[in-house]
This record gives sequence, C-alpha cells and structure tokens, in this order.
Amino acid sequence: MLDLLLEPLSEPFFVRALLAVALGGVTCACLGAYVVLRRMAFVSTALTHSILPGVVGALLLGFSPYLGALAAALLTAGGAAWLAARKGASEDSAIGVMLSVMFAAGVALMQQANSWRDFAGLLFGSVVAVGADDLLVIAATTVGVLFGLRVLHKELELASFDEEYASLLGARPGLMRVVLLALVALGAVSCVSLVGALLTTALFVIPAATGVLLGRTVPQVMAWGVGCALAGGVAGLYLSYYLPAVPSGAGIVLCCALPYLLARLFAPRR
Amino acid sequence: MTPFWQRLARQVGDAAFAFLPTLPYSRPEKKDCSGEAVVARGLSAGARADGPPAFRAADFSIPCGCRTALIGPNGSGKSTLLRVLAGLVPPQAGEVLVAGAPPALGRSRIAYLSQRPQLTEGFPLRLRRLVQMGTYAHHGWFEECRHGEDAVDRALAQLGLTELADRPVHALSGGQLQRALIARAFVQGAEVLLLDEPYAALDAASREIIERFLFDQGHAFTVLMATHDPADLARFDRILELRDGAVRTKHACSGHDHRHA
Repeated sequence: MLDLLLEPLSEPFFVRALLAVALGGVTCACLGAYVVLRRMAFVSTALTHSILPGVVGALLLGFSPYLGALAAALLTAGGAAWLAARKGASEDSAIGVMLSVMFAAGVALMQQANSWRDFAGLLFGSVVAVGADDLLVIAATTVGVLFGLRVLHKELELASFDEEYASLLGARPGLMRVVLLALVALGAVSCVSLVGALLTTALFVIPAATGVLLGRTVPQVMAWGVGCALAGGVAGLYLSYYLPAVPSGAGIVLCCALPYLLARLFAPRR
Repeated sequence: MTPFWQRLARQVGDAAFAFLPTLPYSRPEKKDCSGEAVVARGLSAGARADGPPAFRAADFSIPCGCRTALIGPNGSGKSTLLRVLAGLVPPQAGEVLVAGAPPALGRSRIAYLSQRPQLTEGFPLRLRRLVQMGTYAHHGWFEECRHGEDAVDRALAQLGLTELADRPVHALSGGQLQRALIARAFVQGAEVLLLDEPYAALDAASREIIERFLFDQGHAFTVLMATHDPADLARFDRILELRDGAVRTKHACSGHDHRHA
C-alpha cells in the first residue's frame, strides 16, 4: 500500500504536479469561500472560460500565455461590469454575454492556429506537464492571494455580509467587489494549467461549497475548503497516475466532488 | 483561554502586518456633542437621487441628546429622510449637517438601522462577530479587530444577548437579530442613532429591552426613530412629522437637560 503511494513520488513530474495542485487548491478554496458566499459562481465561470482566447491569442502573437490570460479575464470582468452598468440591464445576462462572446472568440482563434490537439491541455488541463516556471507562477499567486485575503479580511467579510453597513462605515463595498474579482481572475489564470479552462471554476466552487456546509465562520469555511481541495487534488492525481484512462484534470474535479457529496449527506444541519 | 496555536497564529499575523501602512478610513474624530446634532436647511430628497422628491425644502433641527420620533403616513418619506441623514442617499437640494458635518459615507459617528436590513442569507457568522463589526469603525484598513472587546461584551449584556453570542446569525429570530443590530450600532460609539421602525416584528420582551436601552438617560446619544405607534410618542422629547412633502416639528425639547439628567 505504502509503495503504491510512494512510487509516483520518484517521478519529478509527479512531485511538481502535486505541489501545483496543492498550491492551486489553497488559492481557489480560499477565494472560493467568497465566490460561493456572495453567489458569484457564474462570474467565476465566465472569468475562467474567457481565459481561452487570451491564451490562444498570446500563443499566436508569441508572448506569455499568463499575460494573455490575465488580460482576457480582466476584459471579461470589465466588460460585464460595463454592460451591467446601464439602467435596467441585469448583471446576470451581461456576464452571460461576455462569457459566450469570449469563448466563441477563443474557438475562432483556435481555428486560426490550425491545431486543436495543442489546445486540449488548455481546455482540460495538463497538470503533469507543469514545469518549474509554471510552479513559480502558481506559488507567487498563492502567496499574493492569501496576503490580499488576510489583509482585507474584515472589509471583505463586512462587504459580503452587509453591504449597506459597509458603505456606512466607508469600507467601500464596490471597491471590495472589484478587488475580489481581480483576485479571482489572478487565481483562475494561475490554475488553468491544473484542470483546464473548462473545469477551473470547479476548483472555486466545489471545495468552498463543501466548506459552507461544514464551517460556521468565514475562516472555518476556508479551512474546510482547503482540506477538501487538498484531499481531492492529491487523490485525483494518484487516480490518474494509476488509471491513465482518467485525465488528471477530470480526476481532480471528480475527487473534489466526493467530500462535497459526503458533507451534503452527513454534515449536521446548522 | 485562547489555544496556543491561535495565539501563535495571531502573533505571526500581527508581525507580518506590522510593516503595512494603516490607512484610516473612518477614524472617529471624537468630539463632545454640543448644540445641534442634526441640522437641515432647505432639504429636498427622494428615494432615488433622480426620482421625484418625497419632501421639499425641509427646515428642522434636533438638539444633542434629544430623543426624537419621526412620524407620518406610509410613503411620506420617513425612510428616505433617515437614509439622507445617514449619507446613503444624496440630498437633491439643500444642506444637512449631522454631528456637525455633512453625512458623507464613512463616518463612525452616525449609526443607521434599516427597516429591512439586507444581510446575505446563510452567511457563516456568529452573533458576537456581527456585533464586533461595529468596532470596525475604529479600525483602519488592513487592521484586524484588536480592541473594543469590552464594549462588545457590554453591549451584548445590555441587550440580553450574552447567552446567544456563539449562535450563527442565520439561526437568530427576528427580534434577536434586531437586538444584535442595535448592539452593533451601540458598539460603534455613534452619537446619532437613526432607527427605521426598529420595533416592527418584535415581541414585547425584545421591544422592552430595546426601549430600556434607548431611553436610558445615561447614554449620551441623540435618537431619531421612525415609528407608527401613537402610544409610544409620550416617551420622546420631540416629534417630527412628515406629511405631504413637508417636515414639521411638533413639540420641542431643549437638548442639554436630557443629556445629564
């Protein structure tokens, strides 16, 4: 049994993947707590999907895919905010428009590149291909995001719980929303190599949704979410190592869903 | 006694943040209230900044320490007036001073309790933390709550919430939540309390606790409360009536006797 666990660790790519999944899981689970509590799951889906045209465009033009992805995510967030700012427009449909437009642009760009195979990793993740430089980006993002969440903890908590009181005290709930969206965009960009543009939103939503079932304060929700993401991520990697038929991204998401299901079935009613 | 690891985590956290600048966002400039707590001159406002005005050219003032009732039929603009004084709705015309300054957002000296607080449903928060939010007014950006614990304990005790301090907020009844929100406003250390029908949906016991608290002469704050209850009016020092877009003062009090009575 122990050999089964230790054997993959002799492969450098597996160790890198393990580190990447752990760091990315921590980032997404902590941010996910606010995404779930503020009912922003749809925005996070839009941000993660819109990374596609950014990365493809960056590859076609020959600059860093991370910069392209970040630019595309910020464009989506800004575009949705601009569309929703008009009187009578619903934010929901503004996000829906941006999501589908960006994704369609990504598909069109992929056609330009003439090779769909190269982009399978972008869509569905290729955590085993994570290199040392990717790991550095993921680690830096984790540190940055945790720092931001810690420093603005009381403002984010207050603005998420009681927007009116937050503005009464001058804690600027609008600004807090923008900060949160920017952090989600950063986290999504860094994690896209783990599970792919199509599934990154799962890393934000599933562990945090588990946390909401089990935690009674925001830090507790984050802690349970991190535990769920770590357990699911590691289990998913081992699963795809021993069952090559299961791609790593899909394995991670499926293994994250298991603790959610258990919590849903057995968590004490609050 | 806080567990060791918690104290350690807090100290590591504090050390990590010691080098950060603390930008004040609502540092209270604590002054003793003297003269008028609320002054309005030629004030016009509506529920929306670009909508029709609910009242026009209102002139009134409330002395410091005066408990004032705000009455008027439904839709007469009581909530709008309170929201203007809280700085949540800009006035369409005229001038308003609360605690000696325009009610710009981010001022800890004004507390406002909405008729229908819009709290995020199912948010994981204990009652104690909700009350502690009042002390945020005394913390800058990037600061976690490190002071104000005594004030929180005192407010919890005064409003009969000590036993419930560890309850999740969404497990509270309407009256318990209302008392918690008043405790939060009190912890904020505000000089002016703006309350929008705080007794709606309260049982007699909760209502009595809140009344005892608000009308305790030991507390040096000014209260402006929207209310529909005619039996209640005797408790107030002064009555403001909103009717047909005009504000009238029905009965006046001299503020200073009330503060130190």
